[in-house]
Amino acid sequence: MKHLLALTCLSIAGLAAGMASAQMTDAEQIVEEANIASYYAGDDGRSAARMLIVDGNDNRQRRQFTLLRKDVADGGDQRYLVVFSRPADIRGTVFRVEKQVGEADDRWLYLPALDLVKRIAAGDKRTSFVGSHFFYEDISGRGTEEDEHSLIDTTDEYYVIESTPKDPDQVEFARYRTWVDRETMLPMRTEYQRDSGEVYRRMEVTEVETIDGYPTGTEVRMEDLDSGGYTVTQFRFSEYDVGLPDRIFSERSLRNPPRDWLRRD
Amino acid sequence: MGTGSHMTGDWSRWQHRGALLGLLLMVTATPLMAQENGQAEDPWGDEAWGEDPWAEQQTGWRWYGFLEGATATRLHDDPAVGDDYTLNEARLQLEAERALGDYTATIKGDVWIDGVEDGVRGDLREAALAGRLTDRIDVDVGRQILTWGTGDLVFLNDLFPKDYVSFFSGRDDEYLKAPADALKLSWFGDMNIDFVWMPRAAPNRYITGERLSYFSVVEGRRVAAPPTIDPRERDSLGRDSEFALRVYQTIDGVEYAGYAYHGYDNQPSAVDPSTGEAYFPRLSSLGASLRRPALGGIGNLETAYYAGEDSSGDNPNLPNDQWRFLGGFENEPFADFTLGWQYLLEWTRDHDAIIANLPAAQRPYAPDEYRHLLTNRITWQLLRQDLTLSLFTFYSPSDADYYLRPRAIYRFSDQLTGTAGGNLFGGADDWTFHTQLEDNSNLYLRLRYSF
Repeated sequence: MKHLLALTCLSIAGLAAGMASAQMTDAEQIVEEANIASYYAGDDGRSAARMLIVDGNDNRQRRQFTLLRKDVADGGDQRYLVVFSRPADIRGTVFRVEKQVGEADDRWLYLPALDLVKRIAAGDKRTSFVGSHFFYEDISGRGTEEDEHSLIDTTDEYYVIESTPKDPDQVEFARYRTWVDRETMLPMRTEYQRDSGEVYRRMEVTEVETIDGYPTGTEVRMEDLDSGGYTVTQFRFSEYDVGLPDRIFSERSLRNPPRDWLRRD
Repeated sequence: MGTGSHMTGDWSRWQHRGALLGLLLMVTATPLMAQENGQAEDPWGDEAWGEDPWAEQQTGWRWYGFLEGATATRLHDDPAVGDDYTLNEARLQLEAERALGDYTATIKGDVWIDGVEDGVRGDLREAALAGRLTDRIDVDVGRQILTWGTGDLVFLNDLFPKDYVSFFSGRDDEYLKAPADALKLSWFGDMNIDFVWMPRAAPNRYITGERLSYFSVVEGRRVAAPPTIDPRERDSLGRDSEFALRVYQTIDGVEYAGYAYHGYDNQPSAVDPSTGEAYFPRLSSLGASLRRPALGGIGNLETAYYAGEDSSGDNPNLPNDQWRFLGGFENEPFADFTLGWQYLLEWTRDHDAIIANLPAAQRPYAPDEYRHLLTNRITWQLLRQDLTLSLFTFYSPSDADYYLRPRAIYRFSDQLTGTAGGNLFGGADDWTFHTQLEDNSNLYLRLRYSF
């Protein structure tokens, strides 16, 4: 018994030490940790977000919304509530998602002018999120099981992962490479390639802050290299483990957004 | 004298057109100027974070709104209506919102210069106080827009007021829903319950003949105002109350709902034989719906039983009982391309008796025992959602008529949106639901500047 305890203590200490210094070699494990770091910080979270959408002709559009998230399981199902405050024509629109790993998400949209709760067919997740260069999947995360991952390089700062889709017909890319920060495990850059290897789409985290102990990408840029257009998303007033109750992820919140939980402290 | 008033009418119409043109120019010029000024250092412009309505405890009113110019031209001369337009207006919508503790006060009103009905018109669309009464109860009291049910532009258990005049004449979809003065109480628990009390009847904004022509079964032809349809009002506070109830819950992604309604028909569908006056007859309904993911899309089923004032078919001046059934399916077969299908059945219960009791001259115009309606919606989003192309088709094989709603929406910027589309009606027999509107077929253009 004593031995077992000592052994456990040792291995925990070893694990902790390992996380700080040792180099990870398993691509799947790196991808899982990166997924948790970028989409599952804390048990829940609240953040204000704004997007600047610039097309190839330098026309600018803006979006502003508050995002509430609650994890059902780390690395698994999640609940999202996105409440738009800008621009004027989509103000008051609320988007609710029950993200279900391995099956289609449940999605609802509330249109205030018609008092209409619309259910949205589970569609292609690689389509524009509210007119930006980000896809739905970039906002809520791409299932790690949907691609094969391999570790192609380890630099002082990054693990470089190359991912290829298991079902290439479902996606527009041939492969993508992700630069995962070895310290924070945040994916700092992702480049999407065509068959030829040409990079046509690039995501970059341009600002990181540690919030409530969780390193968080607070400014993210998504570029469409074909058109020259890009979207910059900034997250502010982020908080984790705020104790969001399950009941706010409901039809009630679509018609009557949960003020108490949307308000910044 | 006749000529004089005609000229005056023409002149005032030209004035309205002038005002409309002025507004359109103003609306289009503003974003151009804004763009020039917008090249300041801060790429976010004046979009301060503090402006977020959730930022902190707010004080004071927040203002929103839009300016819109809209015109819809008839595709055919309408022998019943003199005007070549179904819509010609310059509109201002203003919305004020204010947080009061756990409550939000909203006031939303429209004012527009109307070139079809000649004059300045106004409409108070919302004036309501909504919020959390307790942890489990929400309240929304005042003038508000109310919607429920699973149909897409087809309503079974949603007996809240609609504005079909706006819908058919080329206004934005949001105007299909007319406001109602109501008290809505919502209870949230194992089952969720919405209870709506409308202290006086909230009828549709039905076709009166002023803007759109329709088929008169009495005259046996398409007519328009004058005379306008002017039914007996149901506006006695309390006595003309309407009640609507919804009980609903979502279990494992499947949405179940039950509905009940007790009030009046939203259309003036009955005639008082002693005075010949139209009125809104009693209507009660019970129904249920289900909506769930199915076959990679969303499927929905809904049914409603309408108990009319005449439950036997003996009195052709009163609407008979009806069963309605709806089945629908929507999916996204390709990226940014959505397809929706619906089938609606309206089954008039005592059809034989109605036919037997109708005057022989009106028999051909009686609705079929089974009215079948098919709808299809195609939505295609392009240019990163700046352009939305859509086509909504209503087709009734039993009425042999159709109604097409093609539309293109383009977002020039966050402020400026242009919409072009049509309302195209046609069919075999002059008197069916959609064919009667044939001469009102129109193509419209709208330009909206939001602020």
